[in-house]
Amino acid sequence: MIEQYTITTTPKYNFPQPTIDTTLPQRFLEQSLHSLKQVQHQPFQLNQQNFQQFQILEQHPSNLRLKRQPITLKPNHQETTIAAVDTSTIKIGETSTGIIIAIRGATTWKQNRNYRYTRLGPFIFHITEENKNELYKTLEKSYFNTLYSSNRHAIPHLMQMPTRLASLLERWLQTMLAKTVTNGLILFDGSLTSGTIDTPIQRMKDILTLARRNKNTVLAFSKMTSLRVNGYLITDQLPKYEPPYLLETTGIQFKPPTTLLGDVYVARLNKANYAFRLDIDSEIPLQLRMNAVEKILGNDLYMQGYPETLRLSHILCTFTANEVLAIKHFITRKHGIQIINRPDMHKLLFGPFGKGEFS
Amino acid sequence: MKLYKKEGNILQILSFPNENSEKGDYLLIEDPDANKALIAQVIDMQFANIPGVLEELLRTLPDGGEPIQGEDIDPLEIAPHITYMQDASLLICKTRATLQNEVLSPSSSWLPSRSQSTIKKLSVPMLMKLAKVEGTRPIIVGGTKDSALLTIDATAIDGTLNIVTGKKGCGKSHLSKLLIGSLIGYKATVVIFDLNGEYTSIGMTNDGKRNMYYDKIHALTPSQNFKVALDQLHLNVVMGILIHALHLPGTSSREFRRLWKNLKEKGCLKLQEMGEAIRNLNCNQHVRDALSSRYHAFVNSGFFTDNPAEATFLDECLLKAKDQGGAIIINLRNTSTIDRQIVVEYVLGKLVDSLQSWKLKATFLFAEEAHLYLRETYWDDIVTRMRHFGIFTTFITNQPDTIRESIYRQADNIFLFNFTNEHDLDVVSRAARVDAETVRSIAKDLPPHYCLTLGKVVHDFPIVARVRSLDMKTMGETRLFFKSMN
Repeated sequence: MIEQYTITTTPKYNFPQPTIDTTLPQRFLEQSLHSLKQVQHQPFQLNQQNFQQFQILEQHPSNLRLKRQPITLKPNHQETTIAAVDTSTIKIGETSTGIIIAIRGATTWKQNRNYRYTRLGPFIFHITEENKNELYKTLEKSYFNTLYSSNRHAIPHLMQMPTRLASLLERWLQTMLAKTVTNGLILFDGSLTSGTIDTPIQRMKDILTLARRNKNTVLAFSKMTSLRVNGYLITDQLPKYEPPYLLETTGIQFKPPTTLLGDVYVARLNKANYAFRLDIDSEIPLQLRMNAVEKILGNDLYMQGYPETLRLSHILCTFTANEVLAIKHFITRKHGIQIINRPDMHKLLFGPFGKGEFS
Repeated sequence: MKLYKKEGNILQILSFPNENSEKGDYLLIEDPDANKALIAQVIDMQFANIPGVLEELLRTLPDGGEPIQGEDIDPLEIAPHITYMQDASLLICKTRATLQNEVLSPSSSWLPSRSQSTIKKLSVPMLMKLAKVEGTRPIIVGGTKDSALLTIDATAIDGTLNIVTGKKGCGKSHLSKLLIGSLIGYKATVVIFDLNGEYTSIGMTNDGKRNMYYDKIHALTPSQNFKVALDQLHLNVVMGILIHALHLPGTSSREFRRLWKNLKEKGCLKLQEMGEAIRNLNCNQHVRDALSSRYHAFVNSGFFTDNPAEATFLDECLLKAKDQGGAIIINLRNTSTIDRQIVVEYVLGKLVDSLQSWKLKATFLFAEEAHLYLRETYWDDIVTRMRHFGIFTTFITNQPDTIRESIYRQADNIFLFNFTNEHDLDVVSRAARVDAETVRSIAKDLPPHYCLTLGKVVHDFPIVARVRSLDMKTMGETRLFFKSMN
């Protein structure tokens, strides 16, 4: 598919206006409504577990080294657009045939010293063993107009569906930012690791290529990492050096098909004793990478060493308990789903010693 | 609405935004299985403790700045459900009675089902019907928030001790005038101690014409159209004035009693003769001086006269009022503290005399800011002794702590207007017929002219009503300096 830009001409300016592809949200909505119709007037068991957070487990690469000499950084105050994206998913409850989940995404950007956001969702899905394949394929197809993966792992297990659908939405939002932002910095939550079940290599490559085409730099911040050097987490091995600085890593090799599309750094951006794994698009020249981090320092707030734009994205997409209640209210009222109280077998069998299914 | 919690006689009810409830509203909690219902009154409202609300509010604010601007694309329209949850409220209610087989009982010793009970609003007319607040002599106090009329029965004020209280300018005098007008309409005798002269025109309409009460209003202004001749006075009344209003010591009182009897026997009970007799009294100089100073207080008050034509026969006014109903308004405006006490002592003494001798059946006494003229011992007299003679008092005050606690304890009805001050509310909440929580919570938020009616008149179901307007000339307005300049 060839990317096309519509050109709008005004008397003074002539700049590209990327067409916003709204196919995915439309499909999300259609599939959401379609899946909820199937569950009407069914009894529904509220979720007994806490919020399910979207996480990708990292594999442990071998030969990982952490350079002890920090790359020092100076804040660059040149006005730069900083945009970030994050998604969140939560299991609302169970039906006799499947699960009900909610997904929401948020993009945040800082421009002209103001933060703005767009929140998409929540989309609510009733996922069953019967509809999960169709649901996932429909959404994935609407994303790239083609299926990236054809292996048997492409269709996830029912319990993986929330994170997989959220991942789809997240990749779509990342694509939208890559298309619409120019000369900016795009912050992802997580890493630039690809080749995993929910992030095919080509999908991530396309996003990065698109971003580069618009002179953007993609930087991915991980709140948690499992990368270790000499048995210690890379974010715990901070030299006594005045922040802000980056520590470079070398020798990261993942087991195929997992591929890293970025170079990994440890970023300590302020005096708060927190450091984060930072992946920067490896196709970006070294000087531009450092320049990008310095622009974050000069343009964004970074409380506890974490960019505010990304923090806001995360905060805005997270489901609060109030919203979960509202979603339950919505599905009860609009779709006539009856809430039932199925006993928690752990509690039932073990009494006070039963700590719940996920303990 | 859903029943959430019960602690003692306090119920907590979860209410959603479309179920509009306000403080003072009554709710009927029906348990179909128990075939009973609880009647509870909303005394306070709080936000329901919905989990996640704080996070929801916090995330709209970035680091202490303006709310973050943005767009929410919410295709399933979940947002109204979120606000619906956020705006859920918790109604703190006080149980008032149990309804079983259309019969009310004050008990709330049972627990309605939390899952099965249905909760609905109970309108004031329905409540009044259930509580059998009805009678042959209705007084329409005003309108409730649900546009119903609050009607009490005049017989519920009969034989009772009432208090009308609230902060300045909230409508206490207005309600008193309404009660007075209604009582006169039912041919009752009403005596009013009018401290500011604001009741004198209740016989006139707002536009200055005569209203239906005109002929029944007897406004008496001491030393103007209200004077008494000494020979009309009973010795007990004079002694009351001397001892209680003018603080005459015991020895001097005994001398005065002797002097009075002598003058009466001689048939010359006149001011001039009394002055002469005191001057010529053969007694201790201090006693003579004491009597002389009290005599001059009598003379200077202008309330006493030797001219029988000038003298007003309070008895006559009382008799007129007895036959057709009427109000005797004692206008105490522009009267000094001492003179005020003299007049009040005289009127109360006269009333007791008339009631004791059955010249009067009973009278309703309205006393505004009574602490300014009522002697200490009268407070207890009024609630105990005088009530048995047939003086049924209504105290009107904006300083509730000036009324003795014993009065609150024995008050049968309280008409409570807005108070903001906690101390004032604490004082009022000592009344036996109300619970402190109701008084503190509801009275604090009453708008002007709204009155919380408590006690016998509403069968102990506190009801909030806006006092209806009256076609009476109101004189209670404060004179303003800037009013004419606008």
